[in-house]
Amino acid sequence: MHSIYARVNNASALWSTCVMVLLGAVALSSFLFNADPKGDLGIVSLKVYHSKTRRYPFKNEEIGFVKFNLSADLTPLFNWNTKQLFVYLEAEYASAQGVNNTVVIWDRIVRSKEDAMIDVVQKDKYRLRDLSGSFSNVLAGQYSLKYNVMPYVGVLSYGEAARTSEAIEFPAARDSVS
Amino acid sequence: DFKGQKTADDIVRVVLITSTFLSFVIGFVFSSLMITMSTFALCTVALSLVVLPPWPMFNRHPVTWSSVQ
Repeated sequence: MHSIYARVNNASALWSTCVMVLLGAVALSSFLFNADPKGDLGIVSLKVYHSKTRRYPFKNEEIGFVKFNLSADLTPLFNWNTKQLFVYLEAEYASAQGVNNTVVIWDRIVRSKEDAMIDVVQKDKYRLRDLSGSFSNVLAGQYSLKYNVMPYVGVLSYGEAARTSEAIEFPAARDSVS
Repeated sequence: DFKGQKTADDIVRVVLITSTFLSFVIGFVFSSLMITMSTFALCTVALSLVVLPPWPMFNRHPVTWSSVQ
């Protein structure tokens, strides 16, 4: 066209369409990468103690402390469109009435392929507590390592990488030594 | 001038569409989103240098106005 403004108008209109098509293609390309990494998860110890609730220090409740042994190789999940991985360890158990509970007790953000090998023996980051305040009415629980792939452009996707092989009973609560 | 306008329009269309394909393919091959975005940005800058300023090549066939009566 006849002036700079007209050319800028024309070029920028097509340019924005091309950018959207490019980003859409990048988002769609995520579906080509199907990785399903598996790892090992073992529970070293699970102890339940009497303690005070965090919000109301006059109320008693039971807190579970988990030490776990985790090794997983999550490098296949890193493709060109992966921005970071959110990895979290969940405790899944059912109460005696049949209500299913899932509690996230540990998580980690993995930002690069080099950090994606996870080999830790750690204790939980967050409190493992039941809504009723006590673990006495609770059946044995399983622990699972799940991940959430966050892309640069596209849809979030979830997956499970490791699971304990057998269910683990919650022991009776005891008073802490200190 | 009209021929120049059509040339500018064609250049814009061809360059933008090929740079979309090119940057996607190159980035996919090298597995880096950075490369995709930077090739696309480079193509955009090059395109704007060619098309936006009023170069004389766009005025090779100027309009001949008829004289005032």
